[in-house]
Amino acid sequence: MILTALIYKDIKQLLRDPKTLVMVLLMPVTVLTMFVAGYGGPGGSIPIAVANLDGGSISWQLISELKRASAMGLGSFEVVKTAYTFEEAYESVRKGEVYAAIIIPKGFTEEVFLGEETQVGIILDASYADISERVYRVLVLTMQGFQQKVAEKYGGFTFNIYRVTIYGPEVSKIDAFLGVVMSVLLHLVPMSLIAVSISRERERRTFEQLIMTPISSYDIIMGKLLAYMIVTMADTFLTLGFAVYVFKVRVVGSFLDLMVVSFLILICSLSMGLLISVLSKNQLQAYQMAIFAFIPSMLFSGFLVPAELLSPKVKIVSKLLPLYYFLKAFRNIQIRGWTLYDNLFDALMLIGETIVFLLTAIKLLKLRVE
Amino acid sequence: MSLEYAVETVNLTKVFGNFKAVDNLNLKIRKGEIFGLLGPNGAGKTTTIRMILGLIKPTKGAVRVFGVTVEKERRKVLKMTGYMPQRFSLYEDLTVEENLMLYALLYGYNRREARERVEELLKELLLEEFKDRLAGNLSGGMKQRLALAVALVHKPKLVIVDEPTAGVDPPLRRYFWKYFKDLNKRGVTIIVTTHYMDEAENCDRLALIFRGRKIAEGTPLEIKRLAFGGDIVEILLEAPSPPNLEDVEGVKKILESERYNGTVTIKVLVDDASSRLISIVKRLESNGVKVVRASQVYIGLEDAFIKLIEEQAR
Repeated sequence: MILTALIYKDIKQLLRDPKTLVMVLLMPVTVLTMFVAGYGGPGGSIPIAVANLDGGSISWQLISELKRASAMGLGSFEVVKTAYTFEEAYESVRKGEVYAAIIIPKGFTEEVFLGEETQVGIILDASYADISERVYRVLVLTMQGFQQKVAEKYGGFTFNIYRVTIYGPEVSKIDAFLGVVMSVLLHLVPMSLIAVSISRERERRTFEQLIMTPISSYDIIMGKLLAYMIVTMADTFLTLGFAVYVFKVRVVGSFLDLMVVSFLILICSLSMGLLISVLSKNQLQAYQMAIFAFIPSMLFSGFLVPAELLSPKVKIVSKLLPLYYFLKAFRNIQIRGWTLYDNLFDALMLIGETIVFLLTAIKLLKLRVE
Repeated sequence: MSLEYAVETVNLTKVFGNFKAVDNLNLKIRKGEIFGLLGPNGAGKTTTIRMILGLIKPTKGAVRVFGVTVEKERRKVLKMTGYMPQRFSLYEDLTVEENLMLYALLYGYNRREARERVEELLKELLLEEFKDRLAGNLSGGMKQRLALAVALVHKPKLVIVDEPTAGVDPPLRRYFWKYFKDLNKRGVTIIVTTHYMDEAENCDRLALIFRGRKIAEGTPLEIKRLAFGGDIVEILLEAPSPPNLEDVEGVKKILESERYNGTVTIKVLVDDASSRLISIVKRLESNGVKVVRASQVYIGLEDAFIKLIEEQAR
């Protein structure tokens, strides 16, 4: 009897907070829907470049074969760039326009006809170890299939694949993972921390006395932002410093640039959290909303899988997420050694989103107790 | 718009869902008075106060504080107004002094001025020895004193206190009222809500609120007279039957009479006890009736209040 009374009471309480309940119930459905939308259908294609230095008929056959090959459940290759020299193909990978470039050597068609040994090159971007490994394997498989087909028609030939890696030779797991760790530390943690800040004041009724003073919603929002920024910033730089100087995680670019990008996402996360705080009625709701807001970031920002591999529709969502820009810039600086200036667009997007979040929060925060 | 009023509400109405918490309330609170908002729990007192302070938006109507419309220029109003909410609303994880300093600075004092003002308030409200204690660790009475100190930090002209004495022990209640009177002498207008009727006698004027509506307004004396239609005097006579007094000036009605062993006790309703008591006694004595005792019956606000509410509920 005691137990049933308690169960009954708790269920009733849960039902009386519809906003939270809706979030709890919608969460699994939403996550699943997002997951299917992002990963279920035909994925986005992996952009590659081809430098066809040969130009003969067999080389074109190889290229169409490559286009048909699916990248192991991650969509297909898309030749987005045709290069005319090895250097051009190399540059294209280095700039991050494509994940890989395939080099078909001069005289390829002739060598195949003559049954000679030929050298096909692949230039890989090691900063996305995941993708380049897949690209390499798919290329090998495709070439083997192609070799059989061609052999039936023109007789056997042998080929070698040589690989050139950029930003390599190899990126270790911990190097590649730093961005993900920093995402949690700089996005989820500060966002959920600050999300409860205003609802806590409401719940403890301190808000009622606070808004009796001649302050504005600008004061409240900026006050919270700066206070939480000061506290979480120390934490951020401590983690980053620890990773780099104690655990020797590789950072190719400048440490200062990395700090600037980290700082930008931190401010952006706090602003997003403040907006959540303004929108939620109590602390529980705020927590739920913070977690809810993190789900698309986790799925679509390149946190788990590079955003390029997601289906094109979902990529639009990716481009709304602050974490997408952060991860891109962070990896570019950390692994590719780019400068902040090279990532100016991403940095500006982060600043822009921060401003939008803050202005919306200031606008929506009502100095009332209703 | 008149400048003699500290607070004026015009047709003030607040509807929550389909519940009318405050219904067309018109109040005129004069400068320099202690004004009591009286009413049972749930009558709409707190809602009214929150609308006066702009903490909630009226469904209808307007509020002016010292002639300033709250909805339009809330900031201006806040600088003149101090508020002590019904429930403790300060930071429990800050000390007494830190809470006070925060509010002093929020009201625009510079650091030195704030420090001075805080010292002053700590002394005035007997909080000096607890200034380093976390507000969360204070006793109920100390919390109330701290809350009052915060309400007064910017020396407001109008102080609104919502149930300041609820759950407070009698000595502190007395202290609070003494303090309010002192403040009032210094020219501060005070609005206080309470459901303790004995306390309400301390107010210069009162408004009785019931189910969101004002059912009476005036000085405590006026309200009592309103409830009963005048003053009541009780007279003990040596007479076999109640005398005829209906034609005496100022006598409204004989409310009840009780015969006992050759004496009669009568309760008479008059318009004003202080002047009519003597004329009634004179009249009786001139008729040869011996008056043993004659006095005004003390009516508590509580009786008046209950009578008014009963009439209203009927």
